[in-house]
Amino acid sequence: MQTVYLKEHEGNAHNFVGTLSSAASAPWWSAFGSQSVHQGESCGQVKPFSLELPNCIDQLAATKPLARGADQVLGKGHITQFTIFPDDCKMSDDAQKLQTTMSLQSSLTDPQSRFEIGFSLPTICAKYPYTDQFYGLFSAYAPQISGRIMLPLNMTSDDEPIYVNAKQYHGIIRRRQSRAKAVLDHKLTKRRKPYMHESRHLHAMRRPRGCGGRFLNTKNSVDGNGKIGNEVHKTVGEQLQSSGSQSSEFLQSEVGTFNSSKETNGSSPNISGSEVTSMYSRGGLDSFSLNHLGSAVHSFADMIDGGRGMIIPTKWVAAAGNCCNLKV
Amino acid sequence: MGDNIGKVLDREGFKYNFTASASGTSAQDGVIKEQDRLLPIANVGRIMKQILPPNAKISKEAKETMQESVSEFISFVTGEASDKCHKEKRKTVNGDDICWALATLGFDDYSEPLKRYLYKYREMEGERANQNKGSNGYENNIANI
Repeated sequence: MQTVYLKEHEGNAHNFVGTLSSAASAPWWSAFGSQSVHQGESCGQVKPFSLELPNCIDQLAATKPLARGADQVLGKGHITQFTIFPDDCKMSDDAQKLQTTMSLQSSLTDPQSRFEIGFSLPTICAKYPYTDQFYGLFSAYAPQISGRIMLPLNMTSDDEPIYVNAKQYHGIIRRRQSRAKAVLDHKLTKRRKPYMHESRHLHAMRRPRGCGGRFLNTKNSVDGNGKIGNEVHKTVGEQLQSSGSQSSEFLQSEVGTFNSSKETNGSSPNISGSEVTSMYSRGGLDSFSLNHLGSAVHSFADMIDGGRGMIIPTKWVAAAGNCCNLKV
Repeated sequence: MGDNIGKVLDREGFKYNFTASASGTSAQDGVIKEQDRLLPIANVGRIMKQILPPNAKISKEAKETMQESVSEFISFVTGEASDKCHKEKRKTVNGDDICWALATLGFDDYSEPLKRYLYKYREMEGERANQNKGSNGYENNIANI
C-alpha cells in the first residue's frame, strides 16, 4: 500500500517538474498528472508501475529539445482528452459533477506544484521562489508579510488571497490534497445521517410518545416535569459517569433520561426555525433520540477505557452521589 | 496510514475518556463512514460543557461545528506527525511525534503542556506495571525494592 503511494507521489513530482519548466503548457500537464494519478489508483499494483516509467521517460525526453518538447506536450494533451471520455462514460456523472471534478483536479495540481517547490529547495532560499510564484501566477505586488505565506486560490473560494502561518503552510496543502483525494474517491459522505443504525431508528419509531413528542414509560420524564432544566442536566451528567455500575433496569430508564435531556437541548433549533430538521419535528426528534442511544454506547466504552486504578475512585464517589439523587 | 491515525485517535481517546474506531477497516469497504471521520458528537458536547457554567445550553449546530473543527485539527496534526514517521522509516506514531508536530506547526503553547502530560502519563503507566508485577509473588516484590 505505501509502496504504491510512494510511486504515485514520485510520478506527481516528475509531472509537476515538467509543469514548472514550461509555463505555457501548465493546463495540459496538470490535467494529465491528475488523470494518471486517478488511473493509478483505480488499477492494480502492476499497472501503476508500468504507467509511471513512460512518464519518467517522456519527462526526460521533453526536457532536452524545446521544439520537440512542445510536440510532446501537445501529444500528451490529446491523450488526456482521449482518457477523460471513457471515464465520464463509466462514471455517468452529471455536468455539474463534471465541473466539480474538474475544479477539484485543478485545485489538486496547484497545491502539489507549490508543495514540490517547498520541498525541493533549501530553507534559506525558501522565500525567493515563492516570490517568483506569486509574480508569475497571480501577477500581484502584494507586500510580503513576515511569517506569512499566501495560499493558492481555490475555485470554490473567494478571489481574496489568504495568508497563513508559514509553519502550517505545508500541512494545510497536504490536508487539502487528502481531502480532495477522498472526495474524488467518493469516500466522504457530505450529508449527515440522522441516525447510524436502522434497527435502533425503527425501535425509536415504535416507542409511544406523549404530548410534546417525548417518550412515555420513562421514570425520569415524570420527575423531569417537576424539575428545572438545570437539575435534569446535572442528573444526566452524574448518571453518565456511573452508568457502568447500574443494573439493566436502570439502564433503560437512563436511556429515557438521555432522550428527555436531548429534547430539552433540541428545543432551541425548533424555536429558531432556520434548519430543515425543524420543519419535520418528528424526524428531528428521531435523530435526537438516536444520538442518545449512541451516547449510551459510548458511555459504556468510557467505562471500559476508564477501568484504570486512578479513575475508579472518582466514579465510585459519583455513584454515591447518584444514589443520593435517586433517593430524593 | 489509516492504522497510524487509528492508533493516535486511541491515544487521544484516553485523554478525553472515549474511544474512536480506526479508519483503516472502513477504508477497505471503499466508503469512509461519518462516525469514522468525526469524533462522537456526544463526547464533543460533554467536553464543551465542562468549561461552561452549569446553566448554559449548547445548540446542536455548535456541537456539529466544533465536531468538524476538532476532527480536522486532529487530522492536521496527525498528518504532520505521520510525515515525520514516514521520513524516518517508522510505522508507529507515538506521543513524542505528536508533541513535535504541534511545535513544528506553531502550536508551542500546546506542545509544552502536552509534553508534561505525556511524561506524567508514562510515569503512571510504569507504576501500574510495577504494581501488577509485584502482586504476582514475593520475589518480584524483592526485585522492586
